[in-house]
Amino acid sequence: MNNKKTNERRRFIKKMTYSGSALAFTNSMSASWANPIGRTKATADAADLTTNYGDGVVSGNTIDLTVAQQSKRIAGGISNPITVNGLSPGPLIRLREGQSVNINVTNHLKDSTSIHWHGFILPFNMDGVPGIAFPGIEPNATFSYQFDVKQNGTYWYHSHSGLQEQLGHLGPIIIDPSDGDIGADREHVILLSDWTFEDPHTVFRHLKVAEGYYNYQQRTIKDTVAEIKKQGLMNALKERAMWAEMRMNPRDILDVTGSTYTYLMNGRDASTNWTALYKPNESVRLRLINGSAMTYFDFRIPGLEMMVVAADGQPIKPVTVDEIRIAVAETYDVIVKPKGATAYTLYAQSMDRSGYVRGTLSTELGAQVKIPALRAMPERGMAAMGMGSMSSMDGMAHSATMDMSTNKKIVPVENIAIEHNDNGHGVGASMIASNPTSRLDEPGIGLEDVEHRVLLYSDLVGANPWPDEREPSQTIELHLTGNMERYMWSFDGLKFSEVKGPVNFKYGERIRLILVNDSMMDHPIHLHGMWMELENGNYPAPRKHTISLKPSEKVSLLISADAPGNWAFHCHLLYHMEAGMFRIVSVS
Amino acid sequence: MKIINTIAAWSIVVVCSTAVAQEIPSDWPQPIKESYTGRVLFDRVEYTRTDDEENVGVWDMVGWYGGDTYRLYFKSEGENKQDDGEPTDIERAELLVSKLIMPFWELQAGIGARGTLSSGTNMENYAVISFYGLAPYQFEMDNSLMINEDGDISFAVEAEYEIRVTQTSYLQPRLALSGSLSKSERFERPSGFNSVRLGLRYRVEFSRKFSPYVGMYWSRNLGNSADAARLNEESVSETGFVFGARFWF
Repeated sequence: MNNKKTNERRRFIKKMTYSGSALAFTNSMSASWANPIGRTKATADAADLTTNYGDGVVSGNTIDLTVAQQSKRIAGGISNPITVNGLSPGPLIRLREGQSVNINVTNHLKDSTSIHWHGFILPFNMDGVPGIAFPGIEPNATFSYQFDVKQNGTYWYHSHSGLQEQLGHLGPIIIDPSDGDIGADREHVILLSDWTFEDPHTVFRHLKVAEGYYNYQQRTIKDTVAEIKKQGLMNALKERAMWAEMRMNPRDILDVTGSTYTYLMNGRDASTNWTALYKPNESVRLRLINGSAMTYFDFRIPGLEMMVVAADGQPIKPVTVDEIRIAVAETYDVIVKPKGATAYTLYAQSMDRSGYVRGTLSTELGAQVKIPALRAMPERGMAAMGMGSMSSMDGMAHSATMDMSTNKKIVPVENIAIEHNDNGHGVGASMIASNPTSRLDEPGIGLEDVEHRVLLYSDLVGANPWPDEREPSQTIELHLTGNMERYMWSFDGLKFSEVKGPVNFKYGERIRLILVNDSMMDHPIHLHGMWMELENGNYPAPRKHTISLKPSEKVSLLISADAPGNWAFHCHLLYHMEAGMFRIVSVS
Repeated sequence: MKIINTIAAWSIVVVCSTAVAQEIPSDWPQPIKESYTGRVLFDRVEYTRTDDEENVGVWDMVGWYGGDTYRLYFKSEGENKQDDGEPTDIERAELLVSKLIMPFWELQAGIGARGTLSSGTNMENYAVISFYGLAPYQFEMDNSLMINEDGDISFAVEAEYEIRVTQTSYLQPRLALSGSLSKSERFERPSGFNSVRLGLRYRVEFSRKFSPYVGMYWSRNLGNSADAARLNEESVSETGFVFGARFWF
């Protein structure tokens, strides 16, 4: 066949290009920091980085970033992403714990912009949220961010202005510990993101005016017939009637899907097959960052187990798993030990199974191995409705909560009763979780039945005790609410525009924050400026900047209110935030 | 260890206790803005062939603009019998303000007009309230109560349901029911139920925004309206085939 020949030739040319000059090839592309060689102990010093990566890696005490919008090759087409120093995703910022940094951000866009340093502990006026930390960076203006770097680990940065993040205004940050040890022989950054050729404002409007616009995996007659065959007519109809009665959709997993998104790994789509190289017998640290606007990813490397050593940049007691669900804005560091000189697929599929991106971990460029098939579209069960333990629902879809209840560790939030008043949360909430439960030991939708180890929130144990171990003196409860039909998203049924005043954390207090997910969606909730210690029953508790809540889940978090000022607190799904799922936390 | 940590934590608090509430300057932009948008949906733009071998053009549209709670609506529905020399018949043209009063329901109030579009005839002007939204079991509904200048009260119920055949094709049953609480001499509407119309359409999406369809309907005059039709030796019921398109922007 002609086609085959062309493909072969293409592959040959590709291989030649790779082996001819790997560096030149990658440098001509976006995210040139994602060099296949990665970083080893031998190339660890800053001078080496600068020569190898050009503008792709920035470091030092003074860093200049320029934000612009320009025509770029992206996701197999040409579009106009927002670039930082000419790259989208932007350059890798490499810092060292203990340094001070001065980052000058110059805006060459037509609109105001900003950069938020996601997960950083810093003064609130350096946090980069327009309207809270500062007024934003006007066109042609420069803002100098100045702060001390008091932590280490894997983080990222992104615009906090409007929907700019969807246009690729984001990038990775690595902060080396003061001793410079990367904990492995080699490291690679794996930054996942979602790209659309539609205007982000068009995407938002579609969500607002036409519910389900991007969902092409809905239940059809065919599914109903299959379900009747499986469960019997009455059971199938009863189950369908329950969803219909609630006016909810069990297949509403992600709002924006592969029908418009191309998923990217380090700025490249699956066909580009970004490659991370290693040498036999090396241990490799992969720094996984989910920089998506809307996409939860399930990441795995078939044939290779992953030792998770950090969550959200913070060290945890190593835990070995085969798959990790990475919520939007989370980061995980894993160490892998490839066997021999094998090639492995780095595989990230979207939580709704509408698409994937892959790369290859290999000893040579141009290698690729079998790409796993997308899993079947999952459906939400009873647990999502907050009816996990209602006995009347027995015999219906089994919730994992019920099945695992025997060996479940009791976490503090389970002893905290959640009360709803009679009229729920008003028009902004189309459901309330009648019986929210702790779901930290569940892998999440679509992963319940996989036959390997999936990272659970209940697996996370902090590597070290955190300095503040006081009992909480202030308790704050917030409910995650939404009205999918109109795409209204909120806390306690109130959008940001509807609330008066901030959520007040008393300065110096230890806060217990209880979050209850009264919606049918997963939400990654992000607090700026302070860590949230997840009360998952482990000591030390893991601390995170972003906590993902499953439908009808309740969690409790401990926060030391040690950072005076005003901070953003929001759902990190970009369009949920834009729709109003946002609050200001004031520490004073 | 715990005690030392606690002391350490408190010493941080003491050192930094100069912290005061930070007022956000009023000239800074809002971090999140209220969004306003709208949509114009032509739910039915169709050509009908009745069992009396008449050809009728029909439209049914709704447009809105606003935020999440308050919206301004324009609804219009009507038909034009082809080649009969008669002007277009407006079933309704309404302008309403709408408030979201329950998660799935809007209460709407406004003014409307209906009748035959020609200079000679008398259009019926009325005030209208509608209960508009999504009923349990996913029925899209528009329930309206109208009162005209003469004080005649009438009502209309419209319900649509969508059965997903594939990811991009739908079977859509539709029900329209109208009636009058009081008799209207001027507009020839007896009291009681006036008419019912059932339709079934099969729609295929070319895109989310444009989907042609084919279908059929059955309509019947009810109660006193049926008696009146019989008296005039007109047929009481009617069936027909339709083809058309649903589109929005």
